[in-house]
Amino acid sequence: MSLIELAQPNQGYSYAFLDAFAKRELRRRILKGIAIPGYQVPYASRELPIARGWGTGGLQVTLSLVGPDDTVKVIDQGADDSVNAANLRRFITRMSGAETTTDANQATIIQSRHRITEEILREGQTLVLQVPNPEPLRRVEPDMAKARILHADADYGQMWLVLYEQLVRFGRYIQGASYPVMVHERFVMAPSPIPRWDTPDLHQSAHLTLLSAGREKRLYAVPPYTNVYPLEFTDVPFEVEDQSEWACRTTGERNKFMNELPQDDGSSVFELSDTGYMEKLVNHQRGEDVTIGTTYYDSEGQFYHDGYLKPRRSRQESPDA
Amino acid sequence: MAYVATKGGEKAIQESEKLYHQLKKPVTPEFVQEIMDTMPYLVDRVMGEGSLYAPELAALALAQSGGDLYEAVLLLRAYRSTQPRLAYAKPITVDDMLTLRRISAAFKDIPGGQVLGPSLDYSHRILDLNILDGIAASEDDEDTQVEAAEKPAATRYPLVADWLRQQGMIAAIDVPEEIDAADIPDVTRDPVMMPAPRAHRLQALARADTGGVLALGYASMRGYGFIHPTVNELRLAYADVQVKHPVTGEPFSAGRVRVSQAEVVTKGKSTYKIGFTATMGWNEVKLIAGATLDMEMSQADPHPALNEDFVLYHTEPIESSGFCIHFKLPHYVTFSSGMDNMRKVINVLYGAAAAGKDADDREVEAEESKTSEVVTKDTM
Repeated sequence: MSLIELAQPNQGYSYAFLDAFAKRELRRRILKGIAIPGYQVPYASRELPIARGWGTGGLQVTLSLVGPDDTVKVIDQGADDSVNAANLRRFITRMSGAETTTDANQATIIQSRHRITEEILREGQTLVLQVPNPEPLRRVEPDMAKARILHADADYGQMWLVLYEQLVRFGRYIQGASYPVMVHERFVMAPSPIPRWDTPDLHQSAHLTLLSAGREKRLYAVPPYTNVYPLEFTDVPFEVEDQSEWACRTTGERNKFMNELPQDDGSSVFELSDTGYMEKLVNHQRGEDVTIGTTYYDSEGQFYHDGYLKPRRSRQESPDA
Repeated sequence: MAYVATKGGEKAIQESEKLYHQLKKPVTPEFVQEIMDTMPYLVDRVMGEGSLYAPELAALALAQSGGDLYEAVLLLRAYRSTQPRLAYAKPITVDDMLTLRRISAAFKDIPGGQVLGPSLDYSHRILDLNILDGIAASEDDEDTQVEAAEKPAATRYPLVADWLRQQGMIAAIDVPEEIDAADIPDVTRDPVMMPAPRAHRLQALARADTGGVLALGYASMRGYGFIHPTVNELRLAYADVQVKHPVTGEPFSAGRVRVSQAEVVTKGKSTYKIGFTATMGWNEVKLIAGATLDMEMSQADPHPALNEDFVLYHTEPIESSGFCIHFKLPHYVTFSSGMDNMRKVINVLYGAAAAGKDADDREVEAEESKTSEVVTKDTM
C-alpha cells in the first residue's frame, strides 16, 4: 500500500473551492465573531486564486457560507458590473453553482466592497463586506499586538483625540469613508471603507453583517439588531456626505448615494452608485413590474431610524458662518 | 466609461487575460522542463516564497505567468492551499543534510573545513556575448568541466554554532528528544498573532519575499539596526523528506529536496547572539538578510522597522504585492467621501468664494493670513 493509494482520488477542487478544514475554521471564527460583536477574530486565511487585497477575505467568508440554493450578489463601489465584482461573481458561481442576481432583495448573500445597498436588507440576508484594514486603531497604534491590548482595555482615548484634533484644525470631522464606529457599546470597529452615508445602515439592522480582511487575517461581525454608533462628540454630530443638491442623471432620483462624474466643461453630473437599485428604477420607469424595496433614506433624505442622525448643523452654527 | 460600470465587464476581463497570454509564446511541456533545467535558482526562489517544494509546478507557474514573479508565487500558493496534508515529514537536523557548500566568515578554518561548493561569488560578472553568436564552449571543454578533488568532500559537517556553544560563547539550547512534526505550529494553518511563536517566525521568514527581506535586512546592516551580522555558517544542502509509512510506520524517503540555512552571530552583553533562517531551495541573499532580521526581532527594543510585527507583515510576498496592485481597483466611493469633506474644509478655511480659486494661490493666501489661528479660535 502506498500514500497515493490511500489518498482520495484527485477531484480537482472541493465544493466552493475551500477544503473542509478551511471551511470549518472559518465557520467557527464567524460564530465567535457573531458572539462578540465588533471583536476582530484572527483566522488562518488561505490563499485563493485571486490576488490578495482584491476581496479574498470577503470571498473566503462567502465561500464558507454559500450553498447551491443561495443567490449571490457581488458589488464593488456599488456596481454589479465592475470588473472585479464580475470576476468574484464568476468565481463564486463556478465553484458553488449558486444563482446570481443584481437585485438586493433577491440575494441571500451580498458580497460588497465599499458600499451597502440603498434598499433595506431584511432578516436572513447576509452582507459580507470586504475589508482592507480591519484595525480602526492603525493610525494611532500601527503595532497590532499593542492595538489588541488597547481593544482589550477599551482604551479608545487616542481615537477621541484624533476627532478632537480634526475639529480644532478643520472645524469638522474629516474622516471620509471607513468612519470608526462603536459596536454594542464595547468595541470600536472599522466598518470597511463604506461612505459615511452607509455607516448608519449597520445600526439595529435586520440582516447579519460579516466583515473579513483576507490579507490581514481578521474577521468580525455585526449581528442583527446590534447598536452601532459613529464616534461623535455630543455637541458635534457625525454627518453623512451632503449630496442633497444632487440628482441622478438617469433616474432623477435624489437623496441616495451618488457618483460624481466630471465633465469636459468643468461641471459634474451625478448618477446613483447602487447600480442594482438604479436598474430597478429604470425598469420601473419603463413600466415593467419591478418590486422596489424600502430604502434606508427616503426621498427627503430622512434615515429610517428616526433621530439616529442628528440634524445637520445649520449655517449659522457652523464656523464658516 | 473606463473600466467599470460598463456592461460586459465580464467579457472585457476575459479578453484582457487572453491578450496577456497572446503577447508571449504559448507554454509547452518542453519549455517548462527547460526552465527547471536551466534556471534552478529562479525555481528555488519561487518554491521558497510559494512555500511548496514542487520544481515542475514552480516552473509551470513561471511559464504561465510570463515570468512575473509575484504572479508565479501566487499561482503556487493558491494551488498549495487546496492540497490536503497527507503526512508530516520528520524534522531534519544538520546530520540529515547532504551538504554541498558550507562556509564560515567567523573563522579562517572550521571543523570539517570550508567547502566552497557551487557559487558565483568569485566570478567575473561579464556577459558572455559569445553565446549570442552561437560560439558556446562545448560540454567536454576543460573550462566548463569541474575537476574532481583528489579526496571526495564529506557529505556531513558539524555545526559551527555547536563549537561556539562548547566554548560557552553562545547560549545552549534545549534539544527535545523527539519532535512530533504534527505538533509544530503551522503559519499556513494558524492565525498569526504577535508576538509570534518561534516556529511561525521562522516559517514566515522561510516563505518571505526575498526582495522584502533584503530591503529590511539591508536597512539593519547599513545602520538602522544595532547589529553587525557575522556569517557564522551558511549551508546549501540536499535533504531527504522522511515520512512514516502509513501502514508499517517505517520511515522512508519520499524524495530529496534542496534546502539552505544560515546562522549569523553578533555580540551580546556577555555572549554572542545568534540569528537563523532556513528555506526551501538555495537562496543565499534571503538567508543572510533573514538571519539578520531574526536577530533584530529578538532584540529588546529594535528599530520600529525591524520589530517582528513590522518585518513579518511587510515581507509577505503575496499579501504585499496583492495589496499594492489592488490600488488599481476603483476607489471612487472612498474618494468621493473624502471630497465631500475637502469641499467643506475649503469652505470653512477660505470661505465659499475661494472654492473656484487655484489651489496653490489658496495655500499662499492662507499662509499670509495665518488662517490656522483664526480657525482655532472659531471652532473652540
